[in-house]
Amino acid sequence: MTTIARLHRQRPRSRFLRLSAWVSVLLVLGSWLASGFFQDAGWTPRRAANLQRFLGEIVPFPLQETGWDWSQAISWFMDLWGDHLGQATAMTLAISVVAILLAGAMGAMLAPWAARSFARPDPFLTSPQPASRWRRLSWLTLSLTTRLILTLLRSIPEYVWAFLLLGLFGPTAWPLVLALALHNAGILGKLTADMVDNLEQPTLAAMRGLGARRGQIALAGIIPLSMNRFLLYLFYRWETCVREATVLGMLGLVSLGYWIQDARARNHYDEMVAAMIAGALLVIVGDLVSALAREVVRRA
Amino acid sequence: MITPDRSLAVRGPGPIGARGAVLLLLVGAGLWAGWALRLDPRQLWPSDGGWQLAHDFFSRAWRPALTHQAADLPAGSTPLLVQALIAAGRTVVFAAAAMLPSLVLGILLGFGGSTAWWADDRRQYRLGGLVSSLCRIFAVVLRSVHELIWAVLFLAAFGVTPLAAVAALTLPYAGTLAKVFAEMIDEAPRQAGGAFRDAGASSVQVFAFGLLPRAMPDMMAYTLYRFECALRSAAVLGFFGFPTLGFYVAASFENLYYGEVWTYLYALLILVVVVDWWSGAVRRRLLG
Repeated sequence: MTTIARLHRQRPRSRFLRLSAWVSVLLVLGSWLASGFFQDAGWTPRRAANLQRFLGEIVPFPLQETGWDWSQAISWFMDLWGDHLGQATAMTLAISVVAILLAGAMGAMLAPWAARSFARPDPFLTSPQPASRWRRLSWLTLSLTTRLILTLLRSIPEYVWAFLLLGLFGPTAWPLVLALALHNAGILGKLTADMVDNLEQPTLAAMRGLGARRGQIALAGIIPLSMNRFLLYLFYRWETCVREATVLGMLGLVSLGYWIQDARARNHYDEMVAAMIAGALLVIVGDLVSALAREVVRRA
Repeated sequence: MITPDRSLAVRGPGPIGARGAVLLLLVGAGLWAGWALRLDPRQLWPSDGGWQLAHDFFSRAWRPALTHQAADLPAGSTPLLVQALIAAGRTVVFAAAAMLPSLVLGILLGFGGSTAWWADDRRQYRLGGLVSSLCRIFAVVLRSVHELIWAVLFLAAFGVTPLAAVAALTLPYAGTLAKVFAEMIDEAPRQAGGAFRDAGASSVQVFAFGLLPRAMPDMMAYTLYRFECALRSAAVLGFFGFPTLGFYVAASFENLYYGEVWTYLYALLILVVVVDWWSGAVRRRLLG
């Protein structure tokens, strides 16, 4: 038997992974058959005419008769920008900023109680006398509850949170901000909890060995050690917040999404696309700022 | 005389340091944003109507509806739990169907956008730089528009069809996959690829046998995570008229059938938790 053949036979295999691969393939193929795309994808003359009309209507209104002209298109866009798009873009940005800060605060406060190495009777260092069963049980309950809350927070999409909270708070900016904050708190909380578990445990164990209390370890050990990674996560999630803040406006508050929905309702597809372009520009600028900030944090 | 080597000196953090500056910037941005939105913590105290609604809504969290709450139901309508199952099934179908074209497009753009296949090879320098910049720019454009905004656009163009939903999910997901795949390929170890190149392998061969296998586990794990995101997105597409879970959440909420809302929310929760567990288990086996 050649070496290659022997290595091939000895390669690590996992039944679970092979099963997962089959499930994924069947799921995707089954979905293509089940959803009726093949019937749907047909190109009927009516659909072609609809698409033709739609493509005609997304051209800026002043140019629909005359043909394309960059300077006119740009001045048309700047008029819309001055009229409402600029203000809506600023609102979108503001929503994303407040939301990510709240999410960071909530996530950071919940995270330690979900971290396995922190939320137990003797954090980071096993003490000679085992803790009483009651203490172990109550710490376990606390950490399981916190993890459950984090899962619940991030399983519900931002849009659903916003939809539900709008009924509660009425038309202020809070429902959008809180919706983004709750969902992202769930994500940041879980990431941070995993991060605390992956910190250099000997450092923290040494602090405990020197007699530091739980709060002292958190303040002088966990926070300085994990601050940079936490900021990286924060900026990554902020990028998604900017995208989501645009969308949540469609529920009726004055971010860019509001004007997208408004233009669609009036069948002014050119203005709808203009608002979408403003959103895309904001997202691109946000990604650049975030990349820059992450680079600064990484070097620090 | 010994002159100190300044390049070895430990740099002091300065008055606040770079990290402090970033933190200050965050605080400043937060203050500006709070002022711009006219956020007032007092508004967080809901009105009486809001309290009533919150009470009615959250008190049903422990008692999700098991049958339809509407009193006058036409004969022969689908039982609620079956309805929830069907809606959850459609959510999975939309998400899974969108993953295939996203993956194809994402892999193509990701490979094109990575630097690993050309940066070490002088012959490919000019072409490689051009192709990878174009791929990256295209991916940025795709993911700078959110899937729900793509959905609004495709709804206007195609109407409520599965095609519109899958196209809306595909474009931004392909852009995100492309970005992350390109990063993963570039960060994977390159020794094997370099050895193949020295032995005379072509760019495609270097890529397929030297670079790709090292990046593969990470890419598969990330694809599963995106599937979990696609589930949430597909559910939310329901708010725009597609027959996924979001559609029924919105309909029941507007009819004030809060028990039904919780039934559908729990269906989504179970879906996401199951996929979360599955992708976690796969990830541990792939990367562990």
